[in-house]
This record gives sequence, C-alpha cells and structure tokens, in this order.
Amino acid sequence: MGIYLPNPGEAHINGVIVPEEKAYEEAAKQFLMAKVPTLFPGPLVLWDWNEKAAKKATAIRHLYNTLKECVQPGQTPMLIPMPDYRPKYPKINPEVEINPNHPNLTIWHNKIDCCMFIGVHCHQANLSLKIIRGGTSCYTIAMCAQAGHEDAMLSFRDASVEKIMKLAEWVRKLKGTVQPRLTSAKSGASN
Amino acid sequence: MSKERIKISEDLYDIMPSDYQDLVKSATYGKEDRGWKDIGNSKELIEQHSLCAGCPESMAFRYILASLPNPEDTVMVGSTGCTSLVFPMVAVHNIHSLFGNQNAIASGLKRALSVRFPGRTKDVVVLAGDGATVDIGLDMTLQAWFRQEKFTTICFDNELYANTGGQESGLMQKGFVAKMAPVGKLFDKVRLPEIARESGCHYVVQCTVSKPSLIEKVVRNAVMISREIGPTYLQLYTPCILEIGKNSMEGLQEMRDSEKPTERFAYKEFISEPAKELLAELAAKDKEKKAAAKQLAAQGA
Amino acid sequence: MADTHSVIGTKNKKGQTFTDTWEMLNEAPRTPSFFTGSEVIKEALRRASCDVMIAYPITPQSEAAALIGELFAEGYIGDYFRGESEFAVMSQCAGAAFGGARVFTTTAGPGTMRAMENFPMWAGARLPIQMIVTCRGINSPLSIQPDTLEIAYLLNTGMLVWHAETAQDFFDWILKGYMVSEEPDVHLPLALCCDGFFVTHTKDVVNLTPADMCLPPYDPYRSPVPCMDMECPPVRMMRDPFVMKSNYISYATHASWQQEVWAAVERSRKHTIRWINGLIETENIDAEVLIVSSGTAVSQGREAIRLLEDEGISCGLVKIKSLRPWPGEEIREATKNAKHIIVPEFNVTGWLAKEIKASIPNSDRVNAGPHVCGGMTMPPEIIVSEIKTLLGMRTMSLAGRGS
Repeated sequence: MGIYLPNPGEAHINGVIVPEEKAYEEAAKQFLMAKVPTLFPGPLVLWDWNEKAAKKATAIRHLYNTLKECVQPGQTPMLIPMPDYRPKYPKINPEVEINPNHPNLTIWHNKIDCCMFIGVHCHQANLSLKIIRGGTSCYTIAMCAQAGHEDAMLSFRDASVEKIMKLAEWVRKLKGTVQPRLTSAKSGASN
Repeated sequence: MSKERIKISEDLYDIMPSDYQDLVKSATYGKEDRGWKDIGNSKELIEQHSLCAGCPESMAFRYILASLPNPEDTVMVGSTGCTSLVFPMVAVHNIHSLFGNQNAIASGLKRALSVRFPGRTKDVVVLAGDGATVDIGLDMTLQAWFRQEKFTTICFDNELYANTGGQESGLMQKGFVAKMAPVGKLFDKVRLPEIARESGCHYVVQCTVSKPSLIEKVVRNAVMISREIGPTYLQLYTPCILEIGKNSMEGLQEMRDSEKPTERFAYKEFISEPAKELLAELAAKDKEKKAAAKQLAAQGA
Repeated sequence: MADTHSVIGTKNKKGQTFTDTWEMLNEAPRTPSFFTGSEVIKEALRRASCDVMIAYPITPQSEAAALIGELFAEGYIGDYFRGESEFAVMSQCAGAAFGGARVFTTTAGPGTMRAMENFPMWAGARLPIQMIVTCRGINSPLSIQPDTLEIAYLLNTGMLVWHAETAQDFFDWILKGYMVSEEPDVHLPLALCCDGFFVTHTKDVVNLTPADMCLPPYDPYRSPVPCMDMECPPVRMMRDPFVMKSNYISYATHASWQQEVWAAVERSRKHTIRWINGLIETENIDAEVLIVSSGTAVSQGREAIRLLEDEGISCGLVKIKSLRPWPGEEIREATKNAKHIIVPEFNVTGWLAKEIKASIPNSDRVNAGPHVCGGMTMPPEIIVSEIKTLLGMRTMSLAGRGS
C-alpha cells in the first residue's frame, strides 16, 4: 500500500488518506462490528508520568466504558495493557497483557477481532502491528500521538484526550446502527 | 525521575500486571537507606531472570540493584553476554548496543544526561562481563578511566566467556583448560584492578559476591565516588558454575573458597585521596543523621 | 519535559533565538560568505542547537571536527570531546543519543570502516545521530584523497545517506538533516556525505542564515522508542533486548524490527522531499544523453556538459541528492527519454551505476563510468571523451592527454 502517512487533520483507512472525521466513523463501526473489540493502552498512558498521560488514561477508560455500554449481547470489549516491551520468558500471560515481541498470542488467546493501540511508542507499535497483520485477521487501529502508522488498517495521528473522547462519541452515536459479526466463524484466532 | 513520577495512571491501575502494581507499591525507589536488607520485604528491581539455576550472577544482580543509591535516577549500561539476558527484566533504564562498547556508550550517555539535566543527579553504572570489560572492550574501558568519566564500571568476572559456551578470556586463570585454550591458558590472569588504579580510577574493589553487606557497601561507595569525583571500578567474582563443573548449589562455596587471603579473589581495595576524603565526609554525615534520629527517637519516647 | 514548539522565539544562553526551522532556512535573510567546507560545517553547527559532538582526527575531516571544538569552547555545543577511535566515537555518539541528546560527529574513509559495526546498531536503535562523512580512500595502499567507496558500505545499514555536491548543500543539509532525522516516523541516523578535500578544503561562496538564529532543540520524548534517561515510561526498559529464547516468536520480532527500520527509511521520503526540495535535481532531461551522478562528480558533469555544448552536443543532468531513501521512481522518470546514461563516479566499483541499473528499464543504457579512484580528480574531459565514444564520435584517448 505504499508508505505515505497522513498530514495533520487527516487519517488513513487501509492506506487511503481520508479526512479525520471519516476515520472516527469507520473506527467506531469496526468496534461495534467486532466480537471482541479491544483497547491496548501502552506505557505512555499506563504510567502517570506527565499531566497529559493521566488525562489520556481517563479518556481511554471512558472509551472502554462506552464500548461496553454500546455493544450488543455476545460482544465482549476488552482492555488489555502493553505495560512494557521486554521479551518475557518463557512467555507472557495473554489474558492480562500484550507484548510487542509476540502480540499475536494475545490476539489469538482472546479471539480479538478488532483492536486499537494507544500510548505505545511508535517503534514498538509498528512491530506489534506488523506481527498482528502477518499472523491474524484482526482489524487494527492506531491512535498515534505522532505521525500515525501505515501498519495499522486505520490510523489517527496527533492523538489527544479530545480525539479519544470524540471516538467514544462516535461509538455512542453509531450504537444500534451496526450489525455485529456475531455469527461469523471468522475471528482473530483464524487466519 | 522522582519516585513520585514512577506511578501508574489511576484510571488504568487495575489492569496493570501485578508485578507493576507491586513495583509502585513497595519497590525502594527514593528510599535513602536502601540496601540488601530490603530484599524479601520489598519489591525488587529485578522481576525474573533467565540465568542458569544457582548462577551467582543472579545473586550479584539482586544485591547490586538493591544497593544502588539512586535507582530512580540511574541508567545502566550492559554489554553482550549472560548479563544481557537479565537486563530486560531490570526496572532501571538500561542500554545494550554492541559487544564491548559499554564504557563508550556510558561516556556519551553520562555527558548527554549532564547536558540535559544540569544540577541534577543522574548516575550511570556499567555492568558487563569480563570478556566485554577486559578483552574486546579494554580500550574503551581504559580510555573512559583516562578521561575521568564520572560513572561506575562493574565487571562480573566469571573468568571465561560463559554465554558463548566457556571460551578462554583474559581474566581466566593461567593453566585453566577451556575452549580456545586447549592446552591450558598460557598467560596470567590480567591484573585489571591494578591497571584500573593506574588508569585513574578513584575506587577499585575486587571481591566475590558471597556477602551481600559487602556488595552493598562497595556499590554505594563506587556510585557516590563516581558521581562526585571520577571513575570507579568493581570486579566481582561470579563463577560460571556450569563451565567450571560445579552444581547449582555450589556457587556460594566456590566464592567463599576463592576469597581466602591466599586465593585469587582475596579482597582488594584501592582508594584515591580525594575519594577517601569523600567517604569520610559521607560517613560523618551518616553518623550525624543517625545521632539526630536517635535523639528524635529519645525525645519521642 | 522539553517542548520543542514552546521555546520558539526564546533565546539560548548564547543569545541565539530558537527559530522555526522552515522560516530560518527558507525565509530568513542570507549572507554570502567565502568559506572552506570545514568552516561551513562549523557555521552550520553554530546554528544547530547541538547537545553533544564527539571528535576524532582523520584526514580530511579533522579540521571540521576541531573547529567544532572551538564552537564548544565558545559555548555553542553542550559537550565535546575527542574519543579514542572511530568505533568508540560512534558508540559514544550512540550513548549520548540514547540519553536524549542531539548528536553530531564527523568521520572519513578508514574511520567509517572501523566504526561500521555501530551503524546498523544506530539504525536498529532508532538513534537520529548526524554523521558527516568526508569520503576518502579506504584501500591499501593508504590514501587520504577523495574516493567514495565507503558510501557503498553505508547504503545497507539502515541509515539515511545524502551526498552533497557543494558547500552550500552541506550548510543547508546539516540543518535540514536534523529535521528529517528527528521526525518520529523516521528517527534514523543520517550519513551526510561529501567528497573529501573537494568540498572540505576548497573555498566557496556560501549563503549563511543569520548567526543569531538556531534550530529548536531536539525533543527526545517524541522519539518512537523510550529515551534512556529514567524520565519516561516504561521504567523496566532495555534498549535493545536480545530476543532469542522464544523460538518462532524471536523470528517475528527480528523480521518486523528490520522491516520497520527500512519502513522508516521509506517514510523519510516525504520529509526529505519537502526539506531538500526533491531527492534529485534535473536539467535538460529531454536530451538523449544524460549524466546521472552524485557528489562532486555532478560538478564535473556540469563542466563536461558545458564542453559538450561547445561542440554542439546536448547533454542533460540528474543530480542525486539522497541515496537513502533511494530516488528510484524519480530516476526512472527523469531517464525515460535518455538513450545514454553516463554515471561518472569517484570509486573503482561503480556502486552508483549498479543502483541505477537496478532501478530503470533497459539498463544497458547505463554506462558505468568514467571512474577515477584512489583520489584522482576527474577531468571533465574524460566524461566528454566517454560520451563521445558512446556516440561513435572520434575522441582523444585519455593516455594521449598532455603528450
């Protein structure tokens, strides 16, 4: 799909540069369609290391709560942290965390079919997104605080508290209008 | 980073793995009198390790991390070898880049931190094996000392290349038969502590890691002196039990045997005059503090 | 936490104003100055808000490296010292960059080769160090003369590699280089190459930006990897861990890590094009004969074109500015009408011609050469001679020159 990241005010969906507004709608749709829509907050928001980080953490919790409120029975939103980037031996516990060296384990184990990375350093986010893309059929979204990610299927850039809240608004707005993929056998666990 | 900034965002606290919740709750960041006695009743800065069962390096790691005077503002530098398999688990920022360049990395790092954080304490501690320190990296080890770079160099001396399978190293004792020394090593163990003294190190200690209290003392001294005066060097015997044919429970005894006064790891210490003065100053301050605390306790009672 | 944008308009300790880089380089007045290339490097560094510079003597970069020492003494550079070898210096640069500093160094020829192990490490660790390479011979017998063979080795390290033609390129690109290198989606080291002596030791008129303006400082917290200063999360962080004990998992990590480095090189395209106004420059590319080159060979090419014009032969020019990212598409487009593509190079192997051949259709149009190596200058006449031979015209043989 080539590598050309969105400029400020833009996002990309499947490599096509779009106005940011369109990406909110698509991301919200993907969340509401998914059987296990999942948020993966990373170290930059898990740790209260500056004022913005803690506020983003609050917004992420709000987005997660919104997802829980807006999905239909049978859909199970998850909130799983990427607390660090170290290779863990012998392996991670995929129920409680995701790791950039083998993010596919967490996707497979929890049958996650749509996920969003936020607060992960760009390099490690890209490693994760590449491995997920290569080994699962999970839909990937990046809410990136910098320039965005071509390895995600949908990517925002310049993430802020406002943008996270706006995404939550879109989820609420589309509640009940999106048919979930509940009957589909296809999930993150398949390839 | 102040201890206060090592905290988890409140709204996501519940989803953090328990080892991080423990780290924030009970690790000894910011504790002034931290030391080896905290092990067992606080969260250690090492979460797990992938060393061999019973490896004395794991003991050394635990004692050192418990003894760093200022872990919340310490960055460590490692090198390739067994230690680099432990470092990902250490809750202090640390760098591995190439084999043997650890003292060069630390030189650049220390200077960058001094430029970026003037007037603030930022300790740099190098921890590498004997191959990295004495063989492939010797030039950079010595040059950092010549330049009086203000960081501590710790060498885990296991007298061979352990991670690659037990090859001869410069710190191996003469006559030892190993890979790449098929008829036994033909030259003496390199006398790095003496070289360190002559190269400008202000505090040099050679010992084993059999006694945690000793490790606490020498690590603290080395870091404080390097912070204020100049380079310091610790050479710690951490035998590779695997390669010297010992069992996993025999590491401690091996160290005790090797630290006897006539043995090659008999305690050795060099301290420069300015470092002596600093240590005396620190001891006096410590004494004052203890006396004040005693007085306060007495008043309270 | 440093915020790059909030400091714009404020002054540093030397009284320079932190200025928006685009404004400083594209809108601020320029003063023509007559300087050697080495002095130009110093002048660029004066304006670069550089935290750490590490030096080591090797001809022909020693002068520039020493002049930056003077800048340090004047207070323009955060810290400066002489390392013990190029291998050590590049590791020291890495250490400083891991610690969140804006880092600068210079090297040349055998020094580049000695330090080589560091460069893929720099790229893998995503360290936006800038290294000036004043190319010189690397083979035995020893030569201090210009020869660009060392660039060939840098092309596969994952570093950005630019090749300056003139001192003016050098001045602008040092400053612009940081802007590209430090973008969070790039964040890679830059080897800014020139041909030693030709650029470093000759004087030229260079238009300088005002000395009282400098770049905004580097913000290490926009880095795509955690800065190793114990000021940012995660606290349990190693740069960079071995990933070798978890079998197939390690394969996926290593493969995606390497892909990510090269993806970052690709992502740098957008920024490089914006900052240095395209990866290539072209003149008269409708001509049937094109000289395609980089570095000072471009200047000799320009002179050859002038000589050819005198004889009524039309020849175009493609100047390649960036080698990584590689302007494959641009070269394809620029050479689509060319029947003969002449690639003059200052090295014996002709690495640039190979790169071009791999990028265009009908690569037999590419004439690898003329080459000079080991420090010879390239008289424009040999380019003319090569072109005339290709066109089936009578030409003087090089051996006949001067006889």
